[in-house]
Order: sequence, then structure tokens, then C-alpha cells
Amino acid sequence: MVKWRRWNAAIHRDLGYLCVGLTLVYAVSGVAVNHRADWNPSYQVRERSARVDDLDASAPSSPEYVRAVLERLGMDAEVLGTFRPDPGSLRIFLEGTTVDVDLAAGEATVQDVRDRPGLRQVNFLHLNHPKKLWTYMADVYAVALALLALTGVFVLRGRNGITGRGAWLTAAGVIIPAAFLLLYF
Amino acid sequence: MRLPLTVLAAVTLLACQPTDRAVPEADVGADATAAAAEFAVADFAGTSYGEAITLTSVTPVSAILDDPAAYIGQRVLVQGMVVAVCEEKGCWMDIASDREFEKVQIKVDDGVIVFPLNARGKQALVEGVVEELQLTEEQAIAEGRRKAEEHGETFDPASVQGPQTIFRIRGAGAVIAD
Repeated sequence: MVKWRRWNAAIHRDLGYLCVGLTLVYAVSGVAVNHRADWNPSYQVRERSARVDDLDASAPSSPEYVRAVLERLGMDAEVLGTFRPDPGSLRIFLEGTTVDVDLAAGEATVQDVRDRPGLRQVNFLHLNHPKKLWTYMADVYAVALALLALTGVFVLRGRNGITGRGAWLTAAGVIIPAAFLLLYF
Repeated sequence: MRLPLTVLAAVTLLACQPTDRAVPEADVGADATAAAAEFAVADFAGTSYGEAITLTSVTPVSAILDDPAAYIGQRVLVQGMVVAVCEEKGCWMDIASDREFEKVQIKVDDGVIVFPLNARGKQALVEGVVEELQLTEEQAIAEGRRKAEEHGETFDPASVQGPQTIFRIRGAGAVIAD
């Protein structure tokens, strides 16, 4: 009996150490993507508008016009390409920036997209964007978490163990999600 | 303990490496329409998403848009500049046609493939199946409203008149130039 307890505690302890990094990754990313309706968890997206109305827009796809728009906006980055969504507009692509020009209104909307440092990376892992080997790594982590939970139940004995205080807390941990299921499912 | 952690770190790093093809990059920096016309599959390099590209012959987007019914259910390979990406989930992107003022949407299942927001303006090679979506007027209005909200734009429901038929490509795999 004592030997079984010792193994259980050792597994719980070592799995706990192993899971620290990825648990923090999943925890931070979990909060970030949970509020996706309110913000973009991976990218900072900033927009600004500017007037470009005194330029000759007779040939909007021409390098001259594109250069003139960018000069007006104070930009000198390399142009990746341009696109005409419709006859009245022009879209200019720079690295990390998109400029939408409303030719008739003479107005440009500049959208800058930047990675949220750290968050994009943790979301990348959490949401399994890499696929491939990471899928199996995440499976191993999930099994480790399950083992961590199960072994955690039996780490302590006595008043604070699963036959005492632990029983109440474990029950609460099951009842809370079950209550939300009853409420929303 | 040191060895297993090292192995773990190595596996993690390997899993995060983007898949690059050892061929030259496609031409970028041009007008989207012109770049599409000059494209050659063998000259393409970039980061892969989803399934590997298996087709070798590119179907011009304009050909699909000219007669979409003829392509429904067909697996096609299209190429063009990425001109829009789903800002919320990366679950779709628009590819410019080889003809002015045209584009086609590439739709993927949420989370299965995630197109990065910074793909805009880059060349992409996409393989997928052409599909048809029939939207009722209510569905078309809801879709228009959803897209407008996603892009922070205003939406006029009156701009939708009656049911809509949308042709798009269900993306299976893509390569986006780095």
C-alpha cells in the first residue's frame, strides 16, 4: 500500500514538473482565445484614414499612382502587390500593411497588422496550427493532464485526502461544469 | 530528467517548423491579375497548409468564374495573390483572379487549416474542390452582416436582393509564399 502511494506521488510530482510549461501555454492562450469576440488574440490590428484626393487617379494600378499614395501616407516599404476589388477602389499590399484606396472619395484606409508578441506563438500551439508531430505531442500532454488529475486525487491521505476535504472539492469540480451543461446545453 | 526534457524540446521545435519547398519563390510585387497570368507551379515556394498539393495544372480563376457550374465537385488547383483573409479565425481567404475586379474565396474548416492574417499580398497556390452555396435572402443578409462586423464595416441589408448563389473552393491544401 505504501509503495503504491509512493509511486503515485512520484508520478504526480514529475508529471507536474513536466506539464508546467505547456499548462501555462494553454492557460494564457485559453484566456486569450476565449475572448475572441472582443479582440484578435494573435494580431494587433490598427487602422487609420488619410486623404489622397489630390492625386491623379486615372491609372490607379500604375506604379506612379501607388508610389504617390504611399508618399502621401509617409510610407516607403516595398510593395508586395496591388489588387482592384472593383472599379472604384485599389488595394495596396505592403509587408504587414494593407492600404485600401477609395478612388472616388480620395480616401485611404491603412490597416497595420502585427503579431501580438508571445500570444501568437502560444495560440499557435494551443490551437494546434502546426499539426504534424505537434498533434501527437498535444495528445501526450492531454494524457499527462489526465494522469496528473487522477494521481492528484490520491496524493494525500486523511482529513485533507479524497475521503475528507478532497471529496468535497472533487465533487465541486464535477458539479460546476455539470451545472453549466444543464444550464446551456 | 535532463535527457527526456531535451528530447521533448527537440520534438516541440521540430513540430513547429514550417514546411518549405526547395524551389525558387514566385514573383510578387506585381499587379494581382498580371502575376496570376505569368505563374508556373514549379517555380513556387512557401509555407504549406493542410494537405500536400497533388495537382500540377493550374485552372485560371477566371475560367471557374466564367462557368462555375461546370466545375462543381471538381478538384482544382488555383493560384493568385491573397487579397483578403478571415481576421477572426483564418478560416477563409480570397484569391485574386487573373482578370480584373474578380476573386474567389477559399473556405476551410475552422481550425483544420488556419490562414495567417499576414498572408495578404502574398502569392498562394491552393488545391480544393469547387462548391456551390445556395443562400436564402435571410442567410445572405446574415452572412453580409457577419462579414461587415468582422471587418469593422457598415452593412446595408438593402444591398441584398433575393436569394444568392455563391461559388467558392473548399480548400484541401495550400502553399503561401513566404
